[in-house]
Amino acid sequence: MILPVWTIGQKRAAGVLSGVIAAAVGIALAVGELPVRIAQIWESVLGLAAKKAVPAIVMDIASMVIQCSVIIGFISVAVMFMVWWERKVSAHMQSRLGPMETGGWHGWAQTIADAIKLLLKEDIVPEHASPWVHFLAPVVTFVPAFLCYAALPFGDKTISVDLDVGILYIFAISGISVLGIIMAGWGGGNKYSMLGGLRAAAQSVSYEIPRVLSVVPILMIAGSMKLTAIAAYQSEPVSWLPFLPKWFIFYPFIGQVSFLIFLICSVAETNRTPFDIAEAESELVAGFHTEYSGMKFSFFFLAEYAFVFLSSGMTAALFLGGGSGPLLPSWFWFLIKTFAVVFLFLWFRWTFPRMRVDRLMEFCWKFLLPWSFVNILVTGAWLILR
Amino acid sequence: MIGYFTNIYKVSAALLEGMWVTFKWMFRPSMTVQYPHEKLTPPERFRGTLVFDKDSCTACNLCVKACPTACITLEPYVDPATNKRLAKINWYQIDFGKCNYCRLCEEACPTKPVKSVRHSHGYEWAMTDRKEMNVKWVRP
Repeated sequence: MILPVWTIGQKRAAGVLSGVIAAAVGIALAVGELPVRIAQIWESVLGLAAKKAVPAIVMDIASMVIQCSVIIGFISVAVMFMVWWERKVSAHMQSRLGPMETGGWHGWAQTIADAIKLLLKEDIVPEHASPWVHFLAPVVTFVPAFLCYAALPFGDKTISVDLDVGILYIFAISGISVLGIIMAGWGGGNKYSMLGGLRAAAQSVSYEIPRVLSVVPILMIAGSMKLTAIAAYQSEPVSWLPFLPKWFIFYPFIGQVSFLIFLICSVAETNRTPFDIAEAESELVAGFHTEYSGMKFSFFFLAEYAFVFLSSGMTAALFLGGGSGPLLPSWFWFLIKTFAVVFLFLWFRWTFPRMRVDRLMEFCWKFLLPWSFVNILVTGAWLILR
Repeated sequence: MIGYFTNIYKVSAALLEGMWVTFKWMFRPSMTVQYPHEKLTPPERFRGTLVFDKDSCTACNLCVKACPTACITLEPYVDPATNKRLAKINWYQIDFGKCNYCRLCEEACPTKPVKSVRHSHGYEWAMTDRKEMNVKWVRP
């Protein structure tokens, strides 16, 4: 087998990539901790408001609107980056190059162009579709993804709403988006959509259980459901593991089993390969979003990638110590860890073939669920005997 | 019980092996040729678009007879003074819509040292109209 050698262009691309990473690290160091900066900016805004005698309730509403806009903006930018990244990673895994033309340098503007194309496309409602259900399904799918970001900590104290039941809130809200997928499957008036919707319902509801149970050991050890508290618990120094940080993934047996179950169930929850039976291109056309085009389709796309980032962020906060790390500010560490887990998602997707429906269910109910119970049992025993 | 754990071990090992393969391939250079920017050179005997040399052609009609799809037509030059047919052409036409790039016309062509009708290495040829496929060389 003859393998081609690295060309000058590829070497230059690697150089530019390292330059971009260095620039990102530089920016992170210059910005420092986000809550400090945000507090400074908000203080000056409040001072300005006091000068002009703006009522406090207006400022409260403005604060909420700004937070929502920041989260929506962050989701869109992160999703755009992830789509581009996925295309590049999948291409390189298959000895291709992926998008190379749009925007000049390695097709960096490809997803922006795609997004504009999706927004400008004609919105088609099929004749047999139920108009309201067809219209509401993308909204019901995307809104929970957006709501979940409120309780996701982007590093130390960089969180919109620091809920005491943060994990419960995220699990509960993200469960709603299954409803949107079922609505999309039923509202499309297409048998393949319907099958996709039913499969998605069975799969998501099943995998939700081991996913929640895999987090229970962490709740037992940390003694809190607050995501910031769990992240903070992991950043403390540890006595019995001197060479490793006190992240939950490094707890012998408990940590690894929890992490694996959580990761597998997260992949299944986001309907990605090898668990993408809900949209299975080779079996169901495109599953639940067969009958969607244009902006409605882009909402499903946005929701899928938003959930990927959310799951990765939760993995980072629960198992990898959230924003804890040396030198760099915590939000940057959080992003590094999150995107490392996102890379795992991409890696799974472009390595493993799709599972069969019956094996998928068997894997969940007869393998993941018992092992998550065993894990809880072991954690309980360890906590008592400690 | 041992079988259960052996099974888990085997499956995990197989999954990790697959992941290692994709990871390894991710860092290998890609096979893609960025077409408009970089081009592959065709092999020596590549049969690209036909080119025609209207000055060396003797209008012998061998290529017309050799062509399996009958896409070549030509008209020999007739001297108006003597009304005799000369070894030159008036016009020569290839319908590339019919041509199947088989090299039989080039093999039949008797002109030396360079064949009048021959394949080039060109493969970048597009037209917007079917009429443009009829390429005609006219000797003034």
